[in-house]
This record gives sequence, structure tokens and C-alpha cells, in this order.
Amino acid sequence: MTILCVRFQPPPTYEAALPQLLGLLEEFTPVVEALPPDGALADLRGAERYFGRDAVELASVIRVRALALYGVDCVIGAGPGPMLARMALRDARPGLTRAVPGGEERDFLAGKPVAALPGVGTATARTLCEYGLDTLGRVAAAPLSTLQRLVGARTGREVHEKAQGVDRGRVVPNGVSRSLAADRPFDRDELDPDRHRRALLSAAGELGARLRAVDKVCRTLTLTVRYADRSTTTRSRTLKEPTAHSAALTRTAHEMYEALGLQRARVRTVALRAEGLTSAEQASHQLTFDPVDEKVRRIEEVADRARAKFGPRAVMPGSLAA
Amino acid sequence: MPGFTHLHTVSGFSARYGASHPERLAGRAIERGMDALALTDRDTLAGTVRFAKACAKAGVRPLFGAELAVAAPEPEPEADRTDTSVRRDRCRTPVRGGAFVDESAPRVTFLARDGARGWADLCRLVSAAHTAEGIPLLSWPDNHADGLTVLLGPDSDVGRALAAGRPDRAARLLAPWREVYGDALRLEAVWHGREGTGPGSLRLASRTVGFAAEQGVRPVLSNAVRYADPGQGEVADVLDAARRLVPIDATGELDSGEAWLKDAGAMRHAAERIVESAGFRRDTAHRLLEQTRATAAECLVDPEDDLGMGAVHFPEPHLVGAGRRTAQRTLASRAAAGMVRHGYDRRRDHREYWERMHHELDIIAHHGFASYFLTVAQVVDDVRHLGIRVAARGSGAGSLVNHLLGIAHADPVEHGLLMERFLSKERVVLPDIDIDVESARRLEVYRAIIGRFGTERVAMVAMPETYRVRHAIRDVGAALSMDPAEIDRVAKSFPHIRARDARAALEELPELKALAGEQERYGRLWGLVEGLDALPRGVAMHPCGVLLSDASLLSRTPVMPTSGEGFPMAQFDKDDVEDLGLLKLDVLGVRMQSAMAHAVAEVKRATGAEVDLDAVPEGDPATYRMIRSAETLGCFQIESPGQRDLVGRLQPSTFHDLVVDISLFRPGPVAADMVRPFIEARHGRAPVRYPHEDLAEPLAGTYGVVVFHEQIIDIVAIMTGCGRGEADRVRRGLSDPESQGRIKVWFAQHATANGYDAETIQRTWEIVEAFGSYGFCKAHAVAFAVPTYQSAWLKAHHPAAFYAGLLTHDPGMYPKRLLLADARRRGVPILPLDVNKSGVAHRIELVSESRSRKPATWGLRLALSDVHGISEAEAERIAEGQPYASLLDFWERARPSRPLAGRLAQVGALDAFGANRRDLQLHLTELHRGARGGRGDQLPLSGGRRTASAGLPDLTSAEKLSAELGVLSMDASRNLMDDHRTFLRELGVVSAKRLREARHGETVLVAGAKAATQTPPVRSGRRVIFSTLDDGSGLVDLAFFDDSHDACAHTVFHSWLLLVRGVVQRRGPRSLSVVGSAAWNLADLLEVRRDEGLEGVAARLTAAGGSREGDDPEGGPARRRLAGSDGRPAPAGSAAQYPMEQRKIRMSTGYEMHPWADLRPAGEGPAVGRKLWHQSPGSAG
Repeated sequence: MTILCVRFQPPPTYEAALPQLLGLLEEFTPVVEALPPDGALADLRGAERYFGRDAVELASVIRVRALALYGVDCVIGAGPGPMLARMALRDARPGLTRAVPGGEERDFLAGKPVAALPGVGTATARTLCEYGLDTLGRVAAAPLSTLQRLVGARTGREVHEKAQGVDRGRVVPNGVSRSLAADRPFDRDELDPDRHRRALLSAAGELGARLRAVDKVCRTLTLTVRYADRSTTTRSRTLKEPTAHSAALTRTAHEMYEALGLQRARVRTVALRAEGLTSAEQASHQLTFDPVDEKVRRIEEVADRARAKFGPRAVMPGSLAA
Repeated sequence: MPGFTHLHTVSGFSARYGASHPERLAGRAIERGMDALALTDRDTLAGTVRFAKACAKAGVRPLFGAELAVAAPEPEPEADRTDTSVRRDRCRTPVRGGAFVDESAPRVTFLARDGARGWADLCRLVSAAHTAEGIPLLSWPDNHADGLTVLLGPDSDVGRALAAGRPDRAARLLAPWREVYGDALRLEAVWHGREGTGPGSLRLASRTVGFAAEQGVRPVLSNAVRYADPGQGEVADVLDAARRLVPIDATGELDSGEAWLKDAGAMRHAAERIVESAGFRRDTAHRLLEQTRATAAECLVDPEDDLGMGAVHFPEPHLVGAGRRTAQRTLASRAAAGMVRHGYDRRRDHREYWERMHHELDIIAHHGFASYFLTVAQVVDDVRHLGIRVAARGSGAGSLVNHLLGIAHADPVEHGLLMERFLSKERVVLPDIDIDVESARRLEVYRAIIGRFGTERVAMVAMPETYRVRHAIRDVGAALSMDPAEIDRVAKSFPHIRARDARAALEELPELKALAGEQERYGRLWGLVEGLDALPRGVAMHPCGVLLSDASLLSRTPVMPTSGEGFPMAQFDKDDVEDLGLLKLDVLGVRMQSAMAHAVAEVKRATGAEVDLDAVPEGDPATYRMIRSAETLGCFQIESPGQRDLVGRLQPSTFHDLVVDISLFRPGPVAADMVRPFIEARHGRAPVRYPHEDLAEPLAGTYGVVVFHEQIIDIVAIMTGCGRGEADRVRRGLSDPESQGRIKVWFAQHATANGYDAETIQRTWEIVEAFGSYGFCKAHAVAFAVPTYQSAWLKAHHPAAFYAGLLTHDPGMYPKRLLLADARRRGVPILPLDVNKSGVAHRIELVSESRSRKPATWGLRLALSDVHGISEAEAERIAEGQPYASLLDFWERARPSRPLAGRLAQVGALDAFGANRRDLQLHLTELHRGARGGRGDQLPLSGGRRTASAGLPDLTSAEKLSAELGVLSMDASRNLMDDHRTFLRELGVVSAKRLREARHGETVLVAGAKAATQTPPVRSGRRVIFSTLDDGSGLVDLAFFDDSHDACAHTVFHSWLLLVRGVVQRRGPRSLSVVGSAAWNLADLLEVRRDEGLEGVAARLTAAGGSREGDDPEGGPARRRLAGSDGRPAPAGSAAQYPMEQRKIRMSTGYEMHPWADLRPAGEGPAVGRKLWHQSPGSAG
């Protein structure tokens, strides 16, 4: 009962606050693992003794501080291990911390659906449900060999163990590795490829600007197209080099879009997500003899400064200005 | 000022393009002072007949034409392409949403010029365009005709080159056109006030006129009309969007709103603008108009002479067995042969038969219809040769000649059927013989007909699919970019009504109340939905019509292939076909015939006994006992709730009773209160009365009540002495209020002359007037009653085989699971699906041998074909490989797909190989994986054929039932209501079985799975919802009157499981129904019961439904009478306040109908399959 799983509820596109929120957790324990985009695991083994309070009480303290300092609410689950803490989080509400006491793991898990277990994806969950193993209690009762026949040797063993309440995970401190997203909804079904491309240009520009503002580069770009019937298509591409350069992001986004070959699809939203963020200082950049590339990057720098001074619409690509 | 002729006008028959009906166009043309109007629909001539008739009525000369997509003469050199963008060339399959609809082919307008020759050319071109793969496209080698005028407009290749600013290219493209059409070529200028140089722009129009002058081709002016009135541009936008399958692009190019049927003044103004901007003097405009007028004047096609309207064309006599003799001689000798074959010549009354035969032959000869009879006889013979069950239906059954030729089954003399109802010297319309064949083999029959007469004489009849409210909402919603889920919800909440009634329905229908509240949210939707009303949106093959003609068919009718089978199909619908004098034979596929054929085949396969349904003994007591018990589910024509009620009251005991029963159960007789006096008289509760003793003979069979058309004919013939042929003409005139007055006078005169007194005449006239048009043709009823009796006989004597046939061919109005429940109730054991025993179709199996006194019991083995998602090939493979020794054996030899094998395991079809169904699933998965990975086929077997256990939890009993519903759409092992017994007992619900003992007027709760819902027209002219519930112990028939609709209608239409409070109505020993006053969705309540307990249920009951006990004071009981079959007049008090009184639909037969009655109701029909069952996340599949 010493691990907390915290999920903050920041307002949208407020990602700049997350490092501060993680810092708040770090005041209690150094062992904090960020769960992007808005959660974290914290190991309070030492803290309990230091502060003289148990984990549930500390959870209340954390919530109060987050609200007082940043105005951000949070939901907290507590358990003996990270997996159980995450499972507990599902039952928690703001103001009500759900805790799983040690020794009651099996009972706590028995009624839960298999899909709730961390590490069980939709495919595994579907397979298990097909065979009537829809709750963790049933999974725990099934013979290990049968489970392994169903979902494979390794997954079978893991699922079986986890369903028994055996939580072998640890909290691994890591830096903030997050992602940034920008989406461009259309107010009606949009079929025009030019307007799609324009929306992508604007989204990529925004992502680039936001990345540069926090001195990050991204390794992967993901394009999500949402259609009128609420279905989506997702494509993701790893960039040649981690970058925050808007032009490079736009190029990749357009390439992904072209590959979809959309014609009559009724697009309602295009969204871009920059993933695998790392610090800009660690990024490498391939220099070329072409002076254009250098110039474009310098213009971008200048434009960023102009935008910082005169607002986000001060400088923008010509095709978006209309 | 002389009028203007629009040479380029499309109607709604250009599917999803034109926005006005041909009638409207013709009407507007005459209003706006035009003398002639062309109809040039896209790729079709389907509107021609309606247009011609409308023009004749309005007094406008019709011109006929079509607008076709035309292929280029030869592939163009690559360098000359103009609008080739880089992105177009890269042809990538879209990951979502599909590709654009290709409309790139240039379109050209063709007008028929030289009478019949022009029309034949037009038909040939349209037919040729439809031979192209995919969308209709006229290939260049087919693109030639002598009788056609060609308009090259902005959408033609020449026009496009001009729009692109390439007159040189236009000149080059014009050359091949000139070569083919020479002087008949015109260049068409259109001005829609658009900017730029595209179609409809002033610059393109002036370039066209200039180019025409330069090339020496005559220019004409047109307005490329798409709709009759200004302001319909928005509808055109919706149609464009629906055709291209994209939403309306508000920022893109919309319809100009100018493409309406403009009057001469506006067109002259357009001509002036065009010639001016082309650089000519303003007064040259009259030359452009003059050219247009001259072109119109050349296009002379007469609807009567050239289209062949009004003339009749039968197949050539030598094709129907006439040889060198005339058709009439052949017919006479075949009829005589029939007399001998049936043995009528040896009967004592043979003189009557001979006389009747010669009389009929005279009538046939009078009209020259002998070939027609021979043709039908030929078709029937061919069908019989294929071993397909065939029966005649319709008034044709009244002809003895038909009977002698083997077309009709029943002997018309014996049943008192009249030839005159079918055909008489006075009647000038084409006779109509319909034949019923087995539905499963209908296409075989069509192929046989085409094989016999050849594709140049046979074509299917088309059936335009028109916009009704649901489809209109879907298309408009999609065009307006509405959320698909929301469109679906809105569309589904409507019953199947006309699109133009959308807003009225919102206001008036109680089940749409919730939707009406949010009506404003949808803005323009409703107006556009109503704008689409009745426009054709596609064309399908008519379900039964077959055209038969002589070899000239293709020059009179445009033909296109049907989408599925590629049969030739005429573009005309069934009414057009009649107007064009084409012989139409209705070949109906009747599922019941297929079901009976299957039942007979099963009996033969299982027992070896040969059953000849056409020779079953008449008056079989067991059969009539079964019919009288009203347990007639599955029997032809008498299985509906209303019919079961009527059968229960009528208690038929002879074939004639069945005929009467079928005739009585029609909207007319029910509305005319013929049912109650008939039943009173039949059971001796009321005396039989005749208006005059002379009329006793025709009326004796029906206790003095007029039921049949034939009786009216006889009454009129006897009273006036005018002959039956004339009497039938009089009968037809009765439905028209205008001619009714004339007939009354005529009737009174002639009857007086025949010596009848005024009072008799008055009384008889009242009967004739009231019932004349209501009655039912007895020949129809006799034709119907034959399969009715046959199916009832099967049900009584071979129940297992009967159900096997029914389930295989599913003929009824009820879902299959209800038939299964009925079988269970009648003691037919239901044997589960088993891969070792089940066949492709449902089969019968011996369950217990016959012992002394006890006959053998036959069980019904469920079929593989009912498994969800099984293909025909898979089912056949499984059935062929039987028996299987083990799961492995089954997997290897039957080679089922993985999902199919899983489904079979779920419903227990593989139980023979191991008891736990989930373990079986696991083994199947591993077999599948093994087969895919190419590894060895190791399978843990625990000795022999059974499979080892893997320790998975087996399906619970509820899960098994859920799997059955999901996979078979039937609750095969037990009734699904059985699982809810506890809750129903808690509520005190009365079962269908116990309901039979309930008192009249008792308030009860009933529950069950909804089987069928209807809102038929009833006597009071109000809307009554009839529904049937099945609760495992039997059926409960429900009626909801309009005072309960506010509270119940939505629930009844949109729920699968229902709990209903109502009052028992009893009107006979076997006639029982419940009048509902409140209804709840039982599935919801069950969920509440499970989650929140009885308290939750109580809370739900207080919230919804409410107490409606007290809201029917004195009017209540009266209104609760079953208005339909009871027949007493509706209480005036409540009807007077009825808000829809003025909207009632007056039928031609004279009775009033509620505007919303007789519609397919909202919701999704009766409950089938998985929707009936709560699916727990753990359930299989």
C-alpha cells in the first residue's frame, strides 16, 4: 500500500504544467515515474515513515497542494504495487482515494474485467473473453497451461500472475517524456484535399512552435484522421532526425496524408501528435551544403520571436493567412 | 410572341439528377405558354410514357430524347490532355470512404426525329449505352443513327474544348461527329449566369455560338433544365451530393438556380445576351431562336403511332406451338383436348362445359388474344417440365379455357367463377394472368422463359425505387454533413411514409413526439426531405413482371441488364408497359410454394411416401379441425393475427368457407361491416335475407351477404338483364363517384323495365352501391384458397416436414423463432444442430418408431444454412462429408472457416466431439493456428473421438441460449422467455395459455417477445396498432387504440421485449385479444431488476407509463372494442374531436383511411436474433 498512482486533470493543452506537477510529487519522494500524458506513479515507501502519515493521508495532501498551487485536480489510487495502484485508480474519484490493502489483492481483482489489467490490450482481452475468461477471478482460476495456449507462453504467465495479485513491477524514475498534440476540427464534412493539407500545415506549425518553446524535439509524428462516422485512421512515422523544425514536421505530415489517398472520405478532424520528446540540446542535426535549409531555420527563429512579441498570428505561412 | 421549346430537359427519372416529375414539367410548360417540350433524361427513357400522357393531358407536344455519356472516337494522344493534374494520375486506393464517382465522360443530348425510326434509334442507343461495364457509356461504334438529332452542349467533348479556350481542338473533335450525323448536328448554347468560362457561363455560350457560325453548324439555345420552378436549386444540390456520394460543398460550385423551365421572354433575353457578347448584333438573337424552333419542329414522334402506345404485340404464333395453323385454331383444339383430359366431356353436365368453352373462345377470338393464352400456357408447361410447382392466381382463374390449358387449377364452373370478371367483349384492357411459382426457383423460371422466346422478345419489367421519408432523410442528412449516427436515429424513428408528409407526421404521430421537440435543430433538413418526395433514386427489377413480345421488342423498348443476374430489363415500369401495349406476365415467386415443395421432398426422402399436394382429399376433417382451432401459424393467407381471429369466429369446415374467409379479410369488407352479419347468419343467430328471391341463387352461398365481385356482376345482370360482360363494366364504374350517379339512373330504369318494384330496386341499389367496389374477386380467393388448404393439410398431417419447409424458405410474416415455438407447442421435437446429422436445409428425422396405436414421431433437425455467416459452399461441404469421426476429421475434411467453426461449437453442433464448448473453441483455434503455421497437427485427444478437457469454464445455460440467438437467430433449445419466469411471476404476468381462461374485461399484464406489429386500415378510420407477443406458451394478440398511443406507441415500435397492461377482449370461443393501455420495454425492466432489485422496478414503473387507468370514463369501453373486425361504428364523440379528420385518405373504394394507417411502422420490425438477448461481456462471440 505504498505506491500511489496519480492522474492529474489539467485543462487541455496545458502540458507545460506537468513538469511542475511532477515536481510537486518529487517533494514527497524521489521515486516518481511519469505516465504521459497526465499521470504519474510515486513510490512512498520512505515517505510514509518520514512524514509519519500513511499513503492515503499523503494522497490527500498531494491533492490539496496540487489544487492550491496549480489549480489542478487529481485522482489517486493506492496499492502495494504499481499494477494494483493503477487498478485502484480506476475506482477512484476526485476526493476519494481508492486503496487496496495488502493481502486483499485477489478479492479486489476477482470482479474486475480482464481488459482493466495493465498490459492486457484489446486483442488479448478479446481472446480471453471469447473463452469465458472475462473476469480476473476466472483467469486466476484457469489452469496456467490453458492460459498459455490461449495467449502465448509469456503473456499467459504474466496475466495469470497478475490475476493472482502478484505485482512484480517497480516504480522507475524517469524524466518527462511526453507528447504534444494539435488537432484541427472542421465544422462540416470536409473532402477538399487542399483544406486538409492547409489544416495539417497549421497543426504542424503549432506543434513546432510549442516544441521550440519548451526546448524539445520529437522523434515520431502521428497523424490521426477522424471521419464523420467517428471512426479514425492513424498513421505514424519516425522522423529522419529528432526535430522541432516546422517545415520538417509539415513535410512528414503531408507525406502521411498523401499515403492515405483519401477521396470521398468525410473528414471531421485531422490531428497531429509529436511523440518521443527529448531535450533539444541532445538532438543532432545533419548539416548540409544547401544554404536554404540554414536560412529557413533562421527565419523560423525570427518568426518565433516576432510571435512571442506580437501574438501567434503575427507571422504565418501565406496559405494560412487568407 | 411565339413560345420557346426547351430541347434539353431532364425529369426526376434521371436518377439523382432531375428534381421535377414529368407531369410537373408538362404542366409548367403549358402555363408558361410553350407548345412543345422535350424530355431528355440521363441514360434512360423510363419517364417517356408518363411524360407523353402528361403532355397529352396538358396539350403540349412531347419530344423524346435522352442524354447519354459518350466515349471518344479513339484514344487521344497523350499530349492533348487538358485538365490532367498530377494528383489525378496517381491512382491510390483510398484507405477510407471510397473513390469519387467517375462522371468524367462527356455527355451529349439525342433527340428522336423521324417518328418510329427515331424512336427505335433512341431505344437502340440507350440499350447500347447500358451494355457498357459499370456506368452507362455509349461506345463510338454504336454511336450512329439516321433518325436522331444531336445536341453538343457544354458537357460534350466539343463544349469542354471550347470552355478550355481551345477552338482548334474543338474543331478537330467536331469532325467525327459531323461525319456521322452530318446535318443533324447542333451546337447547344446554355447560359446560367455563371462566371468564368465553364458550363453555364456567358462566355462559353457566346464562344459556342461564334464557333457554330465559324464551322457552319447550326446553334440552338437551351436552358439544360433540371427542375420546373425557380428556387429548386437547393434540391438539385442535394441530388448532386447524393449522386456523387459526397456532402454539399458550401464553398465549391453549387447549382446556379437558373436551370428551371424558363418562359419564352427569359429565353429571348438570354439569346440576346449571348449573341451580343459573341459580337453579333442584338437582333441576330431571333435567328438563334429560329434555329431552335426549327430543330424542335423537325423532331416529330407521335406517342400513339410511333411509340406503339395502345397497340398490342404478342409473341409470334409459331413460338407457342401453333405451327402452320392460326393461333385461334390451335387454342380451340388444345382446349378441347383439355376437356377430354379432365373428363368433363363424360360428365352429365358436359353440355354446360362445352357451351362455356365455346363462349369463352368467342370472346378470345373477338379480341384476337389467342396467342396470349397460348403463350401463358407455354410458359406454364415449361415451368412444369422443370419440376417447379406452379399455380395461377388472379381473375384468370375464372376462365375455363385457362383451366383446360392447365394454367389454372380450380374448376371455374364448379366454383361459380365468371369469365366476364376476367375478360369480356365489352372490356378493352389487356387481360392479366398471374402465375405463382416456387420463390427459390423463380430465376430458373425466368431463364426458361428467356430460353424459350429469346432475349429479343423477353425483358423483365423495371421498378423505379422512389424516395420515401427514410431514404430522403438519409440522403439529405448526408448531403448536409449531419452526424451519421444521428441521421440513422432520425430516419429510423419514422414509419415508412411518403417524404412529403415528413413535417405533418412530426406534428401528428405520437411516437415522433420526442423528435418533433428537437425539429428546429435540423434546420433546412425537412424542407429538402419533402422536396425529394417520390423522385426516383434508382431502378430495380420488378419482383414478378416479365415482358413478352414479338421480335420488334428492342426497337420499341430500351433495355438494360439487371444488376444481379444480368437479365434484360426494360426501363419501363408496370404501368408504362400496359400503356405501351406490351404483354406482361406476372411470375410471382411464392415462398409458400417453395416451402411446400421442400416439405413434400422431405417426406419422400425420409419415409419414401409420395405426397401429391394437388390431389390431397378434399374436406379432410383433421385439417379443418386444425384450422378451426385457429392455430394456423405458417398456413398460407390465414396466419396473421386478424385472420386467426376471423378463422376462430368463422369456424370454416369446407373449401368454400376458406374462400369466403380469405375474401372477407380485406380492408374493404372489414370496413364495410360485412364480417359481423355474415358470421351471425352463418351460426344461425340471424336470419338469411335476400333483397329479392331472384337474387337468392347468387347470394345463397354467402348467407345473403355480398362478398364477391362475381355476385355483384350477377345481381346487376339479373336485375337489368344486360349480360354479364356489361355488368362487369358497370361494376368497375362503381368506384368512381361521378359515374356512380349515372349508373344509378341506368340501373333503376332497366330494373323497372324488368318488372322489379321501386323498393326492391332501392334496397338492391344500396347493396350494390355500398359493396360493389369493396368485394373481392372470387377467382382470386379460390386461387388463394388452394395453397391455403394444401398448407393446412401439410400442417395437420406432416407437421415436422411442414415446419422444415417453412423454416427453410421462411414464407411468413413471423420471425423463424416463432415458428419454432409453434412447432414445440404442437409436439414436434426440435433436434439441435449437429454437424454429423444436420443437412443444408431443415430435415425431418424419426424420433420414435410407431408402436401400437401411437404413430411414429418425427422430429425437426435444424439446418446448417441457418448458421450466421455460413456460405452455401461451406454448408454443402459439411453435409457431404458426414459422418465425422473426430474434431480433427471434421476440421480437415469439411474445412470450415475459423469463425464458422467457432459458431458451430457455440451452438453445440460439435458437442459430439467433446462436451465443453469452450474447450472445443480452444482446440479449433489451435487447429487453425497449426494449419496456418504449417506445423504438425498435434491435438490432445483423450482416446478416440472425444477431445481432451482444457479446464475452461463451459458456457452457462444463459450463454448457450444467447449463442443460439446470435448464431441461429432462434432460441432452439428452449424459449427465451423461460429465463425470465421468476421476474414475470413477481409481476404477476398472465401467460398466453392462462389468458384463454381470462374473463372478458379483466385487466391483465402480459409479456413476451414482439413477433409482428402492424397498423392496418380499420373501419373507424383511426389508427390502431396491432402487435403479437410470444411468451413461449402461446401468442398474445394486442391492440393499441389512439388514446394510448401517446404513452405506448414509441415503446411498442422500438422495443423487442414488451410488458403490457391491458384489458381482455373476448368475442368468441377462440377469439381473444388484449387492448393495451400501457407498455414498457421488458428488457430495460429486466436490467433494472437485476441491478437495482424490485425497488428499482417500482421506481421505473412510477416514472414511466404512469397510471392511465382513470382516463377513459364512459367512452372507454366503447372505444376499446376492436374496431377492425367488430364493425360497429366508432363513437362519434371521440371521433369528432379527432384532429386528423380532414386529412383522412379517401380510397377509391370509398372508405376512409387514417392517413398514417397501413404503413410499415417505425422501428426495425419484429425481434430476431441477438437483439433479443442481453449480451454479457463474457458471452462467446
